[in-house]
Amino acid sequence: MYLAITMGNIKSAVTQLGVGLGLTLTIFILTLLFSMPLGLVVAKARLSKNKILSSVIRAYISVMRGTPLMLQLLIVYYLPYYVFGISLRSMSLGSINYRYIATVIGFTLNYAAYFAEIFRGGIQSMPQGQYEAAQLLGFSKTQTFIRIILPQVVKRVLPSITNEVITLVKDTSLAQILSVNEMFFAASALASSQVSVMPFVIAGVFYYCANAVIEFAMNRIEKKMSYYN
Amino acid sequence: MNILEIENITKSFGSNNVLKGISLNVKKGEVVAIIGASGGGKSTLLRCATTLETIDSGSIKICDDVLCSTDESGKVNYCDKKQLVDIRSKFGLVFQNYNLFPHFSVRRNITEALIHVHKMDKSKADKICDNLLKKMGLSEKGDSYPCNLSGGQQQRVSIARALATSPEILFFDEPTSALDPELTQGVLQVIKGLSEEKMTMVIVTHEMNFARDVADRVIFIDEGVIVEEGPAKEVIDNPKHPRTQKFLSKY
Ligand SMILES: Nc1ncnc2c1ncn2[C@@H]1O[C@H](COP(=O)(O)OP(=O)(O)O)[C@@H](O)[C@H]1O
Ligand SMILES: [Mg+2]
Repeated sequence: MYLAITMGNIKSAVTQLGVGLGLTLTIFILTLLFSMPLGLVVAKARLSKNKILSSVIRAYISVMRGTPLMLQLLIVYYLPYYVFGISLRSMSLGSINYRYIATVIGFTLNYAAYFAEIFRGGIQSMPQGQYEAAQLLGFSKTQTFIRIILPQVVKRVLPSITNEVITLVKDTSLAQILSVNEMFFAASALASSQVSVMPFVIAGVFYYCANAVIEFAMNRIEKKMSYYN
Repeated sequence: MNILEIENITKSFGSNNVLKGISLNVKKGEVVAIIGASGGGKSTLLRCATTLETIDSGSIKICDDVLCSTDESGKVNYCDKKQLVDIRSKFGLVFQNYNLFPHFSVRRNITEALIHVHKMDKSKADKICDNLLKKMGLSEKGDSYPCNLSGGQQQRVSIARALATSPEILFFDEPTSALDPELTQGVLQVIKGLSEEKMTMVIVTHEMNFARDVADRVIFIDEGVIVEEGPAKEVIDNPKHPRTQKFLSKY
């Protein structure tokens, strides 16, 4: 087989993958932005004394963790049309095609479930004495959570969060199922047009670099939080 | 004037009747030491008095405010949320294991509630904090974090934190039990200093010399009842009840 590894091919692959990388990073950032706060809310709901609420949330988490993310993306994308009969065109936001929106919604719902379980573990690991001391000093429930509990929980769960964040970078490649032109999708297209595995190798390097940066940043944050133990 | 009035309270955990009708009045400026074998219900009594546990029957008043009382039908009624906040500002509790906030500096441990609960200016809160740290012999430690302090220093910070809001009464649950022997004295000195300033205090302790020295009154609790109480010297040096005698013979 003829392998077209020429300088020109590599150059054009890097440029085109760069565009895909932009989309990959957009999915990544938006997912984190939405799924972390949502995960915290879900964790609180999961720990709620309200039995109905906590069971519903438990079921949601179970489904999100127990089914393929790719399938979840398909469901989010096709649900409005097949179940509610809404045209996919009308679901788009201005010039943003619904496939992009569905991608972010799908990733957010899935990652919120994982983050929720991480936060729940962190919250449950907090000693009761912290709540009692705060309560007796007059802090309200909200103040206690925001000022006393959450900062300590964040420190405790940071290593697990880092894990998920790194997985998310790689998981963005699943968006190709909705023909979103993220980096992996772009790499596949290039690979077949150039008849070469080079685009995949370059994509791999890009994924790795993104995660190296994340690892570095998370290490810095962990160090910053190590002023107490 | 009574700062604390506990009347005939009972408390069970499941089938375990931990408090079987305990009454205790504490006058302003009085120091009461509670002694007794482990498992006798001393912590539970303090936790009921400080709203960390709810009682099954009886009544508790703090500074004449009714925290809870039992009506004719036997139902316990607690005050509403707003009063609860008010009553909580009238007492402080020092825990055996300090329960300091590890992510806050010593200064923030002490000032956080002043600033964010009592809405005090930061500068005023800092002044209160400086005075308390000086009193605790920790003037240099305001910027330290709890994890960098000895157990004795941490416990003194927790006393300062409890004192910051100027409570009428301070409860201590075995304040030196988690400490190495050589660190207990510093904490006991601080508590003694407070007694000289006529701070009203209820102290659960196993330090009999300290109790004899500092407390006005000693209460011996065993299996959920007050077995014996009286002036500190009398109870500790000449216990009347056989159970008290047996308990004290170990010290
Ligand atoms: N939260 C709780 N749940 C169940 N049992 C408890 C709880 N707190 C205390 N107890 C029980 O109450 C009894 C008295 O405990 P405690 O008040 O801690 O005694 P002391 O402080 O005198 O050692 C013990 O038998 C203990 O097991
Ligand atoms: Mg105890």
